[in-house]
Amino acid sequence: MSQSMLAAISLVFTLSCYFLIKQLYLKKRVWWLAPILIVPVVIVLFVVSLKIPLPAYFEYTHWLVALLAPATIAFSVPIYRERKLIFSYPLTIGIGVVTGLLLGLLSSWGLTQIFSLPPELSQSTLVRSVSTPFAMEATSAFGGVPELTAMLVLLTGIIGMLVCEPLFKLAKINSPLAIGAALGAAAHGAGAAKASEFGKEEGVVASLTMIFTGIAMVLGAPFFSIFLV
Amino acid sequence: MTAERIKKCYGVLQLLSQIGLFCLLAWAMDQLSVYFALPIPGSVLGIAILLLLMGLKLVPEKSVKLGAGWLTGELLLFFIPPVISIIKYESLFEQYSAPLMLTLVIGSVCVLLGTGFVVDRVFRFETKMNIKRLSAAKAIGEA
Repeated sequence: MSQSMLAAISLVFTLSCYFLIKQLYLKKRVWWLAPILIVPVVIVLFVVSLKIPLPAYFEYTHWLVALLAPATIAFSVPIYRERKLIFSYPLTIGIGVVTGLLLGLLSSWGLTQIFSLPPELSQSTLVRSVSTPFAMEATSAFGGVPELTAMLVLLTGIIGMLVCEPLFKLAKINSPLAIGAALGAAAHGAGAAKASEFGKEEGVVASLTMIFTGIAMVLGAPFFSIFLV
Repeated sequence: MTAERIKKCYGVLQLLSQIGLFCLLAWAMDQLSVYFALPIPGSVLGIAILLLLMGLKLVPEKSVKLGAGWLTGELLLFFIPPVISIIKYESLFEQYSAPLMLTLVIGSVCVLLGTGFVVDRVFRFETKMNIKRLSAAKAIGEA
């Protein structure tokens, strides 16, 4: 099969797999059908079993990645919509963003040092807790690899989603803003989705925290990299 | 039936044109950032500009809401391709899977607990402050 044929199949499969699984998840609501978990697995299996070379896979699907920048700009709409909440709790949201950002950076840095991970992994891990478009933008300042970063960000999101409930119970964290900020800072988009299961306010705060930590990470990355690399 | 179909078509066109506008803005901001060698990437510039335009009521929220909702809602789709390139790094992930997973799990627990704990305290403090400010404003109003 020619490369452009494989490329077209890859794009069609990626799109249909994503939208079908999403529909299925919305209907069934079982955790193992969560698109963030199952879609990458299905597509990796598909690419490996059909032996599609990666350049062929990316030939058309890279247009999907090009939508990350417009999607980042689209985050300005929820910021604008929730301006009232931001203006009534500027301190809470601001401190939540700074704490989350620094804890994410420092915990990743410390742990990768302790486990002495190779540089390409450890440098790609630093930005793991912010949303993918911001992480892929910021990672190069630390010497990280964007593709590895995307994978680590995805894993971090899944982990945050899975471990948050018992942690909140154990630590008696129950105010909506605390739950939202913690999930938004630790697990970005996946965390925001999880937070909206706790309640509407939790979801909104998680989204805002995720967006602001992302922006702060991108803007601060050149500065943080002086200390952490 | 036809009226419904026309409405649906109109909705789709609206969505597509809004997504198109977001793409155009992203491209323009990227050009701007590259041209002036700004330390701020185009996407973050775009957030600032659009916030400003909405704040000044030059762009009504409803004219970008549909496209923004779709773009942020389908975010996962847009970063599937880079995740697939994990195939290229299979041996790296296999070799370091245990320490890597420990890093991610312990790190996430740190961020969840730390941020949750701090925000819980600050939230209580700020709520008290807000109530005080409100009652102070009320007292001034009454006086």
